[in-house]
Amino acid sequence: MAQSASVEAGYAMTKKLLGIDDLSIGLPVYADRPRAVSKVSFSLNEGEILCVVGESGSGKSMIANAIMGLLPRELPVLGGKIDLQGIDLLTQTPAQLRSLRGSRMGTVFQEPMAALNPLMRIGDQIAEVFYVHGLPGKPQQIIDLLRAVNLPDPEALIHVYPHMLSGGQRQRVVIAMAIALEPALLIADEPTTALDVTTQAQILNLIREIQRRRNSGVLFITHDFGVVREIADRVIVMKDGELVEHGTVSDVLKRPSHDYTKKLLAAVPKPNTGAPRPRSERTILKASHLRKTFWRGNKEVAALNDINLDLRKGETIGLVGESGSGKSTFARTIVNLIAPDSGEIRFEGTDLHSLSRKQWKPFRKRIQFLFQDPFESLDPRRSVGDIIAAGPMAHGASAAEARAVAKEKLRLVSLDPSALDRWPHEFSGGQRQRIGIARALAMNAELLIADEPVSALDVSVQAQILDLLEGLRDKLGLSMLFITHDMRVAAQICDRIAVMKLGQIVEEAPAREILSNPQHPYTKTLIASVPGLSGESANHRTVEAL
Amino acid sequence: MTESRLHAMPRLIGWRVLKMALMVLAIVVVNFLLIHAAPGDPASAIAGQSGQADAEFMRQLREQFGLDKPLPVQLWIYIERVLTFDLGVSHRLQRPVLTVILERLPATLLLTGSAFLIALSSGIALGVRAARKPGGIADTVIMGVSLFFYATPLFLVGIVLVLVFGVWLNWLPTFGMETVDVPLHGLARVLDVAWHAVLPVVTLAVFYSAVYVRLTRASMLEVSSYPFVKTARAKGATEHRVTWVHVLRNALLPVITLAGIQAGHLIGGSVLVETVFAWPGIGSLAFEALIARDYDLLLGIFLCTSVVVLVFNLLTDLLYLVFDPRVQAL
Amino acid sequence: MKSFVRRFPRMAIGSAIILAVIAMAATAPIFFPFSPWDMRGSPFEPPGSPDFLLGSDALGRDIAAGIAHGAWVSLMIGGISTMASLGIGVSLGALAGYVGGRVDDAVMRFAEFFQTIPSFLLAILLVAIFRPSIFSIIAAIALVSWPPVARVVRAEFLSLRKREFVQAAEVLGVSHMRVVWQTLLPNALPPVIVLGSLMVANAVLTESALSFLGLGDANWMSWGFLVGSGRSVIRIGWWISVLPGVAIFITVLGLNLLGEGLQTWLNPRLSKRDMP
Repeated sequence: MAQSASVEAGYAMTKKLLGIDDLSIGLPVYADRPRAVSKVSFSLNEGEILCVVGESGSGKSMIANAIMGLLPRELPVLGGKIDLQGIDLLTQTPAQLRSLRGSRMGTVFQEPMAALNPLMRIGDQIAEVFYVHGLPGKPQQIIDLLRAVNLPDPEALIHVYPHMLSGGQRQRVVIAMAIALEPALLIADEPTTALDVTTQAQILNLIREIQRRRNSGVLFITHDFGVVREIADRVIVMKDGELVEHGTVSDVLKRPSHDYTKKLLAAVPKPNTGAPRPRSERTILKASHLRKTFWRGNKEVAALNDINLDLRKGETIGLVGESGSGKSTFARTIVNLIAPDSGEIRFEGTDLHSLSRKQWKPFRKRIQFLFQDPFESLDPRRSVGDIIAAGPMAHGASAAEARAVAKEKLRLVSLDPSALDRWPHEFSGGQRQRIGIARALAMNAELLIADEPVSALDVSVQAQILDLLEGLRDKLGLSMLFITHDMRVAAQICDRIAVMKLGQIVEEAPAREILSNPQHPYTKTLIASVPGLSGESANHRTVEAL
Repeated sequence: MTESRLHAMPRLIGWRVLKMALMVLAIVVVNFLLIHAAPGDPASAIAGQSGQADAEFMRQLREQFGLDKPLPVQLWIYIERVLTFDLGVSHRLQRPVLTVILERLPATLLLTGSAFLIALSSGIALGVRAARKPGGIADTVIMGVSLFFYATPLFLVGIVLVLVFGVWLNWLPTFGMETVDVPLHGLARVLDVAWHAVLPVVTLAVFYSAVYVRLTRASMLEVSSYPFVKTARAKGATEHRVTWVHVLRNALLPVITLAGIQAGHLIGGSVLVETVFAWPGIGSLAFEALIARDYDLLLGIFLCTSVVVLVFNLLTDLLYLVFDPRVQAL
Repeated sequence: MKSFVRRFPRMAIGSAIILAVIAMAATAPIFFPFSPWDMRGSPFEPPGSPDFLLGSDALGRDIAAGIAHGAWVSLMIGGISTMASLGIGVSLGALAGYVGGRVDDAVMRFAEFFQTIPSFLLAILLVAIFRPSIFSIIAAIALVSWPPVARVVRAEFLSLRKREFVQAAEVLGVSHMRVVWQTLLPNALPPVIVLGSLMVANAVLTESALSFLGLGDANWMSWGFLVGSGRSVIRIGWWISVLPGVAIFITVLGLNLLGEGLQTWLNPRLSKRDMP
């Protein structure tokens, strides 16, 4: 008797929730491949978190949209079967699908800032889930839901409009809506990608907690193997619309079978384990007591609050912080895109802040900037050659000389010189970032300020650009201030790491010291929040702890 | 509305009223500059080149404007006059400008107000319908018709309506605001005015309806692509609810903004429509003043209609304030 | 060419209409080698009568000649006044967007003022007080129609200045003038081009409305004047008002189609409040 009960319980634990069979989704004719998703099959059990991993364009989000029946019209389902608890979703009428959405399957999206209706109170938006399914949705239920997603003061929160909440808080509200009717399936489409790392850690914990409590199945879509390590039970890897690998999290992470998975895993940035490079005695850039405040509405925000930094010749310092920490403001004050309120920035002894525009000009050659977004940082109306030549020409080179320089620099960043006469839109993100590097190096800069240069790139491209930067740094003896939100990236490329929070550098030390022995509580939180850095699946850790 | 916004309201409204007062002052200055920039003596500019102005009238005008005094003093005299509601005397009608304008204002407000409401409601409804399926039959027809009216001069619409419904079919009155030969009272009079108003109101409304259709459609399509609309669908909301509760409410914000800005255009349009239909409002008054070169009256009309437009703008701003919780300060 | 027509049908139709109107204006002296003010025969001849293709007006003037000669005035006033207001709008907008701060505030208050007041009434006042002439009409239209341009250019400049490729030019040490001319203006241009074609349409409408009210230049035949002159005799000769009105409609329609076509072609994002 007891035995059969446990067998039944065991059966319930592994009951199939979602089955996807041979699913294919079409693409418009002008796309680069015939199908967004091609013959993909997998299943998801109750009480399980399945991660779908892939780079941009792999078709991973399309699967989520197909399950919900929310594919755009130009992306039709070409074939296959989606089965949710015995219901064939692809044969449902729109009205039937609609009644399943929200009740049987809840969804969390990537963009928390825009995922809520700006004109509706939080309470009303959650109540709507009940309302559209013909349920009463009592105020107490809504308050309980807000409490379940660990939002503070739920009684007051129901009267608040979305713009008054932070990104993390909004994502919690979206999760509250997704779980309101206790759906068996929770679909999370990159739910933490737009969030800061500490918030990401909290949201991941929340999703796991809810999944445990309700024994729901979670289809978790992500591009980040760190996140996979944190949350997944099983993993599927997608590439160009095809499923290339499928297995338990430990199998896929430790013993990947497909080359693409191996390549992706190898591209995940890892702390540099080589011998530390010696630190030069010569200071190239020294910031002292730098301050800058902005007015946000009628509130004063200190973007830089007494910043001090000493960058040595040939050294790379990583400036790590979350959004709003002031790290980009600092980068921009160094190149005079933003004027500081007070303090000094000395470049080889000269205070840059006190210079006139004219006096600044010679320093433009020596200090250069690398921007974040490869699709934003190149003028779409100028050829690649003109873009790279603009710097030398602004400093008096003739057109022919500047062109020769541009050609040479393209080679330096491993691009074909034929790129000179082509247009930015003809290149991929990674290639465009190489063009950006060529532009920054066209005047033989000594100091490179790199503002999140790899955060807009897919992980495999990110690895290539990091390698390129590392190689150029060593070859040209560049000094670098490397701004990033990603501790893993900083750990790979930087000699020292400075951690910024609310306009202050809270801790600065050699990279490996910061990682192995953080001193400041914020640094500790930050490092603890980095997904997958511990090397062990958190899910499994907790299971063992239980 | 949250507490803090409720407290901020009087201050916000105060700011808007102050801004409006400054705008009125600026318009007064523009009027003054226009009088002085005109070729020849300002008095003759105001009296017009009609030749009707006698020497006595010119002398009065010169005194009234203090033309022998320095320019800043003249400006001050002018502002003082306007602030005491003295907009001068219409030389054609020999009556105070303000009195004449206030007499004619209700007719214009009736015309522009009804045209505005009809244009806005029909424009929004059709725009929502068109946006439901972009490229569909309804969309093609609605957008085609709206482009047609968007490109037709107001006075041509008026003339064609006069021709078809007045002259050829003889269904509707095309002249004036009420039947003059038989004095009517009470409800009969209201109906009579409404009957006379049909063609002018339709003429004025079709153009602005076309504007609002295009705007609403574009705005609906844009808002439809916002992530929160997908959230609503993921909740299981019906398409009907998604459109009317989520998309439309957000899509209306730019429509309100534009409606506020275009209040001034509506007054301009009423000059043409009132002229075509001899509607006894400010617009036809402006036309009469123009023909008679009664520039003091024309300047007064410009000032008064500007004030009306500014008040209307203030109202739309307040509406925005109530409608959009994100607006903290305007 | 064929695929262009298929991809941008609106632009193709719009351009065809505008080219036809230009051709009509250019050939008017050939087909109607006389002044459109001349009385050429008996009054109130309906369209299709032997002497008058499109009929004659109350004084026996040829409507067809009036429409052909009037095309010139509409296009010229529409074109020149748009050029002028683009000039004012682009310079003020660029100034506000590039310099920012108080200059920006001042320019925008100024633009807001012009956008709020009943601009058609201001145009009437200007033309009336400065006496109707081609010049005063062009000046009046230009003066009331520049604010949308300034707004668009300013908004473009402001958003472009935050774009990384503009900051990159700054960091490279490129001069202010070069940044404005080589980087900002070319990228801000597409919405200005679209706006420009829609503004010509608006200017044609405003000009015709002014001359409809009797504020046209007495030396030039214009469509609005024809419509206005036929208004009082609408019961006797509908064609005197309606046919020139149709000419205005077709021209404005062509310009609007062209503008919409340009918008899909160049794909700029015009904010709704800036649409004229």
